[in-house]
Amino acid sequence: MSGYGKSTNDVPLEGSIPTGTAPLESILCTEELQRRPSRPPDYEKENRALVKLVSALADSPGTIFQTLAETIQDITQCDSAGLSLLTKDGKKPHVEGQRFYWPAICGMWNPHVGGGTPRNFGPCGDVLDQNRTLLFTHFERRYPYLMPVSPTAEECLLVPFYVDGKAVGTIWGIMHSERRKFDAEDDRVMASLGKFASSAYQSWMHIEDLEIQVAKREKAEAEVRDLASGLEAKIRRLVEANVVGIVMWNLEGTITGANEAFLHTVQYDREDLAAGRVRWKDLTPPEWSDRDERAIGQLKATGIFQPFEKEFFRKDGGRVPILLGGALFEGSGNEGVAFVLDLTEQKRQESARVYSEERYRVVVETASDAVVNVDDKGSIVFANPATATIFGYDPAELAGKPLTLLMPEYMRELHQTGFKRYLATGRRHMNWQGTELTALRKNGEEFPVEVSFGEITRDGHKTFTGFLRDISKRKQAEQALRRSEAFLAEAQHLSHTGSFSWRVATGEITWSEQLYRIYELENSVPVTLDLIRTRVHPEDLTLYERMVEEARIGASDFEWQYRLLMPDHSIKYMHALARPTRDQDGQLEYIAAVQDVTARRLAEEARDKARSELTHVARVTTLGTLTASIAHELNQPLSGIVTNASTCLRMLAADPPNVDGARETARRTIRDANRASEMITRLRALFSKKSAVIQSMDLNEAIREVIALSLSELQKNRVILRPELAHDLPLVTGDRVQLQQVILNLLRNASDAMSTIDDRPRDLLIRTEPEDNDRVRLSVSDVGIGFEPQAADKLFEAFYTTKNEGMGIGLSVSRSIVEHHHGRLWATPNNGPGVTFSFSIPCRPEGLTSDGTRAGRIPSVSDAA
Amino acid sequence: MDALPREAHSYAMELRQVGRAVDRPLISVVDDDESVRESLPDLLGEFGFAARTFSSPEEFLASDCVDRTRCLILDVAMPGMSGPELQRELKLRRREIPIVFITAQREETVRPQVLEQGAIECLFKPFSDTALLDALNAALRVH
Ligand SMILES: Nc1ncnc2c1ncn2[C@@H]1O[C@H](COP(=O)(O)OP(=O)(O)O)[C@@H](O)[C@H]1O
Ligand SMILES: [Mg+2]
Repeated sequence: MSGYGKSTNDVPLEGSIPTGTAPLESILCTEELQRRPSRPPDYEKENRALVKLVSALADSPGTIFQTLAETIQDITQCDSAGLSLLTKDGKKPHVEGQRFYWPAICGMWNPHVGGGTPRNFGPCGDVLDQNRTLLFTHFERRYPYLMPVSPTAEECLLVPFYVDGKAVGTIWGIMHSERRKFDAEDDRVMASLGKFASSAYQSWMHIEDLEIQVAKREKAEAEVRDLASGLEAKIRRLVEANVVGIVMWNLEGTITGANEAFLHTVQYDREDLAAGRVRWKDLTPPEWSDRDERAIGQLKATGIFQPFEKEFFRKDGGRVPILLGGALFEGSGNEGVAFVLDLTEQKRQESARVYSEERYRVVVETASDAVVNVDDKGSIVFANPATATIFGYDPAELAGKPLTLLMPEYMRELHQTGFKRYLATGRRHMNWQGTELTALRKNGEEFPVEVSFGEITRDGHKTFTGFLRDISKRKQAEQALRRSEAFLAEAQHLSHTGSFSWRVATGEITWSEQLYRIYELENSVPVTLDLIRTRVHPEDLTLYERMVEEARIGASDFEWQYRLLMPDHSIKYMHALARPTRDQDGQLEYIAAVQDVTARRLAEEARDKARSELTHVARVTTLGTLTASIAHELNQPLSGIVTNASTCLRMLAADPPNVDGARETARRTIRDANRASEMITRLRALFSKKSAVIQSMDLNEAIREVIALSLSELQKNRVILRPELAHDLPLVTGDRVQLQQVILNLLRNASDAMSTIDDRPRDLLIRTEPEDNDRVRLSVSDVGIGFEPQAADKLFEAFYTTKNEGMGIGLSVSRSIVEHHHGRLWATPNNGPGVTFSFSIPCRPEGLTSDGTRAGRIPSVSDAA
Repeated sequence: MDALPREAHSYAMELRQVGRAVDRPLISVVDDDESVRESLPDLLGEFGFAARTFSSPEEFLASDCVDRTRCLILDVAMPGMSGPELQRELKLRRREIPIVFITAQREETVRPQVLEQGAIECLFKPFSDTALLDALNAALRVH
């Protein structure tokens, strides 16, 4: 402290409060700070400065105040900066004599280092009194003793600092001109430097304490030195025991004598020693010479030097760590004895220990698990940082607290009983490795942990280290997984879909629960292809066998439908989809979804039945409107038959009988009868409820029949029918009766649409033509009333009709028939009046069957590739 | 007759036809159905009438038979002009030929209509030979 005491000015050491000086308020302008425009903070500079300060504190605490002053000046860009410390003379504040002195100043006021101000009448005193930062302007107006301190202070920003809540001094910055004004940012920065000043002050005090201690130690050492002389005999014995190295040396650097242990440590031999080649100065690596100097200093002062660790060069140039301690011979100022302990082994062990401790520490500190160390009373000794994250307690806060703090209330007693019993009997009340327990966070939240405990016995006391892992996330994930599995099972259940996997090579088949349910098999039964076979419908067995074979050979997607015959003779319809994958070993494995489509099939069948019924109803209805026409068509040949037959009889009864005429009329009778019977067959087909018959047919021929049936009706309606039937029309595969029904419908509708047309001929054109892609098209054009564009979609809806006697099912049934033939039926308005209804069907629609789809392989996407 | 060579036989037949045509009442048949036009003349011949057939009313009107026809056997429904329309047309032309309608449609509305208009009979196809003969006799009695 005395180092700062040099005063280079004539500032009065004692202050008194003169009367009639300017009032304090007149020299204060602290509020100005917040009003002035503030410069932006320069955190980078501030941080750099703080780092510099902190390292200065570590490296050269003696000059820390100077560094601090420089920093203040640097950061605030003021003209002078420094600090004032309150003297520690034990007197109370406000008592005369206690004062502030200036240990460090930089800038313009630097020459005033060592000066100061009185505690009870000066700017620093004001700051401490008001206990806050103050901004002064020309404080010499109130404190005249500052007048001679030049240059005068235009503004001075003063910040108090404290140690343990006690004010110990101020830091300050001064502007000597109006060049720059202090602002709020200076205020902020100074406050933060004030905090630093406080810690700098503390460490400085600490150094002072150390110096006192050193002095004390030196005194004790002197006492030891007195004892040293008595040690000589003991030393001699040590030398001979060769347990430690013992050397005789002089201050010039020579080793005059040494035992084997020493020579062994440095790997020299007796000859080297005798030749004077073993010199301690030469054995000492350069970086240790300073330390040696200190020891020599100590030696000279006290006759002894404290053992210290250093290194010696060995003869081979390698280094050996040693502990060196020694003393001057009694009465000799130059020669002495020293012991040299080879620390190689110790160092090795130590570094290993340090390393493993370090490793342990790093592990514990960075562990994401909470690590808690507990003594044999169940109190927490140590907790790592993760404990804070997991439990919400500060590790320091936990020290000394019972471990039960981390458990929910209801577990505490159980734990304590178990813990006591363990200490008494060694019987554990729980598994120590990976037990799942419930833990308690500071905020009262309970959560699952996985706990592992280990135990160490030291000095007869057991300590326990626990690793507690927060597994709430894992639990949630597990739950989510369980939920989604349950969800899948439920979904399979609801959709009647099961799934299975089949490893082709091993024949290993895994079934989902739902699949067992569908097949009505016990869950426990191992599934084999043979077992599945027992359930497959006999009619589908060949198909099943073929599927299995194909699946074995080629790895492609499969989709097939088959039936199961259950023990109660009920039939289940199945739809399976399989996709090949390769497992980790590259083995072929099929993953398949199997859906029980029985319900759907039954619904489809019911729907098909309803549809065919509707189709029939629609047909009969349409035919019903044609009864007159049909009767006409039938009566016509019948009339011919009756007339011819009568004529025939009359000709035969004549005299002479007209045999030739009779033969001719009989021939005509037969012809007309055939015509009638054909007509009746056709009508019966149209009226019959027989399900679809798919056959190859001539569409034109079918049209002609329909025309024949409708002709008289059309005539009655004065419709002029013009058929334009293509000669090169290919045969089509389809249901003749159903297609005729469509044609009949279209003709009827066209005729209806023209029933009110009187200003133009009621022309009806029916035309067929071959289309590309092996299709044929039929169109029916009328010149009728047409329909509104917005009705275009509705026409095909069932029960949409605009006619008084209409049923509105003609077009909807027609469309479903055409679509069943994989074709399309549509309506387009004509350029002129009326509309054209057309359908286009493929000549050979694929997969068209007479009675719906049966078991069979469905071509899948991969087949097409 | 049977002893006559085939050519002679046809000749005789023709003579008989012609002879009949000369002295027998002419019955005209208008029907678009070919089987009717084919079969009726033979039966009418057996009844002792002469017969001419036409496939449409227009054809009949254009022929030379309108004035000579003693009775008209007329179909109801035909493309173009219908039977009742011909009936009206003849009335307009003041050619009061007795008409026997024949129809394959059992539409009850047609029959009273045509009878109202003065038709002798309206027969539904198929009709018996006697029903036709009765109708024709009735028609010939009228005039
Ligand atoms: N050729 C057409 N011209 C105008 N409208 C038509 C034609 N064909 C059908 N429609 C309209 O479509 C409706 C539905 O026809 P459809 O299903 O056959 O039943 P319906 O003939 O019993 O009314 C008819 O009522 C009519 O309004
Ligand atoms: Mg219709």
